[in-house]
Amino acid sequence: MVSLTRSGERTIEEKEALLGYALIIPSLLLIAAVILYPVLYNVYLSFTAVPLSPTESPEWIGLQHYRELAQSGEFWSALWTTVVFTFFSTTLATLGGLAAALLFNRKFRGRRFARGLVLLPYVAPLISIAFVWRFMLDPLYGIVPYVGADVLGLYGGDIDLLSNGRTALWSVIFIDAWRYFPFAFLMLIARVQAIPSDMYEAAKIDGASRLAQFKDITLAELKYILATVFLLRWIWNFNKFADIWLLTRQVDTLPIHAYKVAFANYQHGQAAAISMVLFLALIGFVLVYVAWILDW
Amino acid sequence: MSTKSTYRHTVESFKNALGLGEQTIETSLVERLVFYVALGLSLFVTLFPFYYMIVASLSPESSLYSLPPTLIPDEITFTHYRTVFGPETFPFLTYFKNSLIIATITAGASVFVATFGAYSFARLDYRGRGIFSRGVLMVYMFSGILLVVPMFQLIVWLGFVDSLWSLFITYLVQTLPVSLYMLGNYFRSVPEEIEEAAIMDGYSRLEVIFKITLPLSAPAIVAVFFFTFMIAWNEYLFASIFLESQGVFTLPIGIEALASGFHQVWGEIMAASLLTSVPLIVMFTYLEKFMVEGLTFGAVEG
Repeated sequence: MVSLTRSGERTIEEKEALLGYALIIPSLLLIAAVILYPVLYNVYLSFTAVPLSPTESPEWIGLQHYRELAQSGEFWSALWTTVVFTFFSTTLATLGGLAAALLFNRKFRGRRFARGLVLLPYVAPLISIAFVWRFMLDPLYGIVPYVGADVLGLYGGDIDLLSNGRTALWSVIFIDAWRYFPFAFLMLIARVQAIPSDMYEAAKIDGASRLAQFKDITLAELKYILATVFLLRWIWNFNKFADIWLLTRQVDTLPIHAYKVAFANYQHGQAAAISMVLFLALIGFVLVYVAWILDW
Repeated sequence: MSTKSTYRHTVESFKNALGLGEQTIETSLVERLVFYVALGLSLFVTLFPFYYMIVASLSPESSLYSLPPTLIPDEITFTHYRTVFGPETFPFLTYFKNSLIIATITAGASVFVATFGAYSFARLDYRGRGIFSRGVLMVYMFSGILLVVPMFQLIVWLGFVDSLWSLFITYLVQTLPVSLYMLGNYFRSVPEEIEEAAIMDGYSRLEVIFKITLPLSAPAIVAVFFFTFMIAWNEYLFASIFLESQGVFTLPIGIEALASGFHQVWGEIMAASLLTSVPLIVMFTYLEKFMVEGLTFGAVEG
């Protein structure tokens, strides 16, 4: 009853605030239940030995998993592979997107349609993309080894590009860049079109070369969005699992290492520790990047 | 020709050569040639795998497993599609149905909950709002692999292993932050004056939301639905951990099982891959404009 009489006296601001809480509570509860709780639980599990049977409770072992990781060659090599994969796939996808955005800025017949087609690699399902590339790279009947090795003679035809330890990483980097350059393209194209053309005219009057115009106008105008695209792609590629796993089992990045430790070796505590390191490394990178490059 | 028009002409050619101008007139033949070669090459690199998927799905076994690879099939066959739809080899239709159910339910639930949540922190003023909206941005960076161990423990504890419920819960993890983030950005872009004017006219805040903001935001909501649908349609990690029996497999798991269970079934795999792409490509074609707008309001994980 008290609340009823009081509600009549509420100011508009109070009502707005109450409605605000009411509308956000479902989202908050869900996020707390399915994200925050698992994250905290993951922190806890990384300090425990998790038994195989779910009825037994985890046993606290402190920093042991982290100490083992520090001494594990596999872990350090996976960390290095993750950095190499992330750096090159992110850079290639961003540059590809920039090139495509500049190309599609010019008007031509069927531009809208062509633009839609360019987005296909990003829109098509991952499973379809993984398998068409596996087929195209198939060492026996694939079209890529046929053209690359038999016709052009770029490399010996007996190498399986996706299973060979030396080539698998680069194949995966290339396919990842192919799949995600449309994302960079989409983010960049609007900004490219918004660059006023009189800036180029003014630069021309000052006698600026094409290269100088590209560097001082195009890149300068796109700097912020380019840096943002690079950061987003970095975050997602750093955590990338399925794209790599479905293509090859020969590229061990940290997410794949964690998956193997958790579900092939059943060492859940160790895997929790790996994902903690993955997360901390990512947060570290993002903070440094944001502070130094984006200058937020 | 006056100096001025010569100057203008030069500027335009520069811009066009760099792909920066909007005009196509008054460019030299060489420039146009370079442009179309570049355009053709990029379209070729982008589209060839899709073309090859179609060709392979329609080619008879004899030309799939012979060299040189077939680029233009001289014989078209629908055998692979018949196998995919026939129940003998693998239950493709069951996988398709499972994927459709889980993706639709996840996207629907995620968009529904996020619409109200996003409106709340985009428009309404209260203590803690800043923390909520920044928190969403943080959570948005989390990826499945960071949560895979605790989610596994949680799903086992709930007894949801080998049921689509496990996927519903884990897909909410991946889609809710995306939906909240994108919708939040969109609602902030709706001019506040429209809502204020409606409140002046005597509408309550809830009426404003339902009668003005939501109808205005329909394109964005549709785009976010598409993105969340896409995330659920593609999800492999959690499905590979939680699903054990064929009856509940989704498409990524089912096709992967087909590929590892049989040898030399590329024709069937390409047919299944193509059919798996159809819903996303149909939705995308229909929604392209909204989707491009949606992306500018917040990037979606990929």
